Amino acid sequence: MSSWLDYTINGLIVGNVYALVAVGLALIFGVSRLINFAQGSIYLVGAYIGWVAVVQLHTPLPLTIIVVAVAAALVGLIIERFGLRPLQNSVRIAPLLATIGISFVLDQLVMLTFSPNPRALPSQLPDVRFQIGGGTIGPLDLLIAGVGITSALLLFVFLRYSKLGWAIRATAQDRDAAMQMGVDVNRVNQAVFGIAAALGGISGLLVGMYYNQIDTAMSLQATLKGVVAEVVGGAGNVPGAVIGSLLLGLVESYGVAVFGTSYRNLFAFLLLVVVLVLRPNGLFASARQAPPEPLTGTFIAPSRPVRIPRWALLIATAVFAILPLLPVSFYVLQTLINASLLGMLALSLTLVAGTIGQVSLGHAALLAIGAYTSALLSLTFSVPVGLAIIGGGLMSAALGTALISPSFRLRGHYVSIATLAIGEIVSLVILNWESVTRGPIGISGIPPLSLFGYELVSPISIYWFSFIAMVVLALLQGRLLGSHLGRSFRAIRDDDIAARAYGLSLNRYKSLAFIFGGFAAGVSGGIAAHLYSYINHETFNTQQSILALTVVILGGLGNVVGAIVGAVALVGLPEVFRIAAEYRILIYGIVLLLLVRFRPQGLLGTM
Amino acid sequence: MSNIDRRTLVKGSLAAMMAGAAFSRAAFAQSSEPILLGVSGPLTGPNAQYGTQWKQGFDLALDEIQAAGGINGRKLAYSFEDSQSDPRQSVAIAQKFVSDPRIVMELGDFSSPASMAASPIYQRGGLVQFGFTNSHPDFTKGGDFMWSTSVSQADEQPLLAAYAVKRLGLKKLAVLHLNTDWGRTSRDYFVKAAKEHGAEIAVTEGYIAEERDFRSTLVRVRDANPDGLILISYYSDGALIARQARQVGLKQVICAASSVYSPKFLELGGEAVEDVHVGTRYFPEDPRPEVQTFIAGFKKKYNGVEPDAFNAYAYDAMNMAAAVVKIGGTDRRAIRDAFTKVKDVSSVIFGKATFDVESRRVKGAMNAELVVRKGQFALWDGKPT
Repeated sequence: MSSWLDYTINGLIVGNVYALVAVGLALIFGVSRLINFAQGSIYLVGAYIGWVAVVQLHTPLPLTIIVVAVAAALVGLIIERFGLRPLQNSVRIAPLLATIGISFVLDQLVMLTFSPNPRALPSQLPDVRFQIGGGTIGPLDLLIAGVGITSALLLFVFLRYSKLGWAIRATAQDRDAAMQMGVDVNRVNQAVFGIAAALGGISGLLVGMYYNQIDTAMSLQATLKGVVAEVVGGAGNVPGAVIGSLLLGLVESYGVAVFGTSYRNLFAFLLLVVVLVLRPNGLFASARQAPPEPLTGTFIAPSRPVRIPRWALLIATAVFAILPLLPVSFYVLQTLINASLLGMLALSLTLVAGTIGQVSLGHAALLAIGAYTSALLSLTFSVPVGLAIIGGGLMSAALGTALISPSFRLRGHYVSIATLAIGEIVSLVILNWESVTRGPIGISGIPPLSLFGYELVSPISIYWFSFIAMVVLALLQGRLLGSHLGRSFRAIRDDDIAARAYGLSLNRYKSLAFIFGGFAAGVSGGIAAHLYSYINHETFNTQQSILALTVVILGGLGNVVGAIVGAVALVGLPEVFRIAAEYRILIYGIVLLLLVRFRPQGLLGTM
Repeated sequence: MSNIDRRTLVKGSLAAMMAGAAFSRAAFAQSSEPILLGVSGPLTGPNAQYGTQWKQGFDLALDEIQAAGGINGRKLAYSFEDSQSDPRQSVAIAQKFVSDPRIVMELGDFSSPASMAASPIYQRGGLVQFGFTNSHPDFTKGGDFMWSTSVSQADEQPLLAAYAVKRLGLKKLAVLHLNTDWGRTSRDYFVKAAKEHGAEIAVTEGYIAEERDFRSTLVRVRDANPDGLILISYYSDGALIARQARQVGLKQVICAASSVYSPKFLELGGEAVEDVHVGTRYFPEDPRPEVQTFIAGFKKKYNGVEPDAFNAYAYDAMNMAAAVVKIGGTDRRAIRDAFTKVKDVSSVIFGKATFDVESRRVKGAMNAELVVRKGQFALWDGKPT
């Protein structure tokens, strides 16, 4: 029995830690309806500034906190001014992508400045422990709890009773109306970003001290857990974010208690999906609250797509088809093979995200399902590789659609968060379902690609294989978009209420889109499995999902040719920047930001 | 990039791209040019720290090799391509190296998914993939061009089990391990060996690499009532676990695998890692000359910093590569064959390293039983803690 007390206390302690990040995320979401993927990076920056202050400058703790808060707030203001404000009149998805780009840039800057080696960030509080239950808590636990709860309370009071707070809430409710009433919306946004960034920085500092460890990989994890906690509490709801964080901590802790450590994150993400499905506005959304997303689909604004004449497409296809016959190195071919594989994933995502408006952040899960299915079919049941890949596509279509179907009632950002969670769940199931997936050991010795009994092992034949697969899928998708199905998809994206009024069954069309998209992604994963010969749960990770979304937005949402162009660009750019060695991901992030800034509708425009 | 000018390299790789599949054209590199090894590893991304440590080890070894006259008068150099330990990038790098006639063999990658995804390309392209941190049991099964000096966990874990059970006298163990291919394989070998020595395994817990909070895991450990904790961890997570174990009041003996052997473990763990036992392959006061050369050279080159296990792996790997190239020359196939011929290469990890031609791995890692005393790794004096 006493163990349960310990698990409860531990859950609350770690929930406490999540709350610090979640509060900042909630504040930003509340005002600008934006999931700030750069929040984890600000947390990282705060931790390293704290390290400089503590270890190099020997500042006392109160001063350290102030230094970190001010510096992080400055970073937040810079992000708002130069990264996000220029995008405020463009499509709503552009700022989301911009925050991803900003987080690349910030993480890389920290890594280049401080080297990727982890560092110790010693706590400046006395090392006394208080016995509670079977364990102990220290002064840092109390400080973290204090900062979390105080900041949530202060924010609550500030938002409710101060003039700027009113302005913030007015802006959150209706930006245009607030502007008409004379609210300086930019100043509001600045204030919000400054406060959120200061909080993010302090949380990085405190969490770093808590674990006596900071490293450059901590940013993505912080963002993920913060997003989960925030959404569980009700996106944009600051006190809700604190309670959501504590709940998340508890669920994880009990999950460990009952099933063991390796199931921990599984419970975190299951909690998220369950909450989203049952209470899409979060646990603590009030009934009076305006819907978190606009009723009509302004999430993805249509733009005029660039029309590419048919002959140009034909010539481009022909050039790429005969490329291996020209004196091109295998390295270039291999890069293009990667681009084709990413292109197929992007085709899938551009259909579900762009054409029907379900922006998925867990698309790598479809790759993983396709890859494991194809690998296991060919290894265990000796299915010919060509058929196994198709089997992978079908399994991905079926399982992917089944997994996502409970979230069909969600809109906008909530779809993204639900798919993010589903993606993590799939990866964790692969890790834990050892009897089938072989767990962390992974599957090795996957047979190479083959067709009609001939092994395709030369880069040239693999290139043709993946290129043809991509072109066929692209042609099919083009046909689909031109048919009445394509029109129905777009109608649902642009205005789902109007679409329903016209008698379109939303769930059926969403299912159709995911079935088709799941197939394309599954085929891509299947080919990858046979190309790599070894896969495990890390092969298809969250970074892949984010990359795929970047490709799709870059190419133009819903745009078939755009998806392929985007894939070639985003596989090619990091390769081109290889010359820059450690700097290449930084350059890549900056290029991405510039693209979002100057072509938010994507290179080829939304279809 | 150690000792070739970046601009030359850029030009070179551009030229290699232009030259395309035509190998022969550039195959006759002048003898004044350095012999070039390709390295595929993480310089950015979540595993970037390990790539940085590789570089330190490589550069130190290269300094010594150059000082000793290089490879038959020619310099040895490497070209480090950042893969982020991502299979998509490591396969592209593999093609790049295979098509670049200047590259005589490849070292890396870091993680199993990235390394083993590239193996088929190296195997078909006939370029040796020398994976010196690849402990996955199937890595060298990728083909006869895959060689590894990574300590086989079948070798290492029984040593750790003997340390914990026979020497420290622990009878009931809790095993915490990274839930990766390495951690899982290690755990299985450890559990098997510990049971053979008569210990009971009270609980095993696998955690993912990003995990930072172990309090609830440690409650499970406490409830299993072990008399010792075994950490199959890297230094950063190992330090976290040790700290939190002490914070929640667990006072059991902690015994960790050699992968925590790093000054960072001491820095990150602080007082909590005092008295932690570590089974390692070498130790600072080790009288073996290769160890003393390595440690002294490393401290001199890097401002007094102590080397860690990953530095040592990289240092050994570069020395092994030099020994192989000395025998095999610059022909890729001859280099593959040289791996079967190379004998008793002096090595920090193995003492004298010779490949077992069957498994394409090196057997018989050295063993040192260390304990953290007063914030330093020291040879265990046999006294209980």
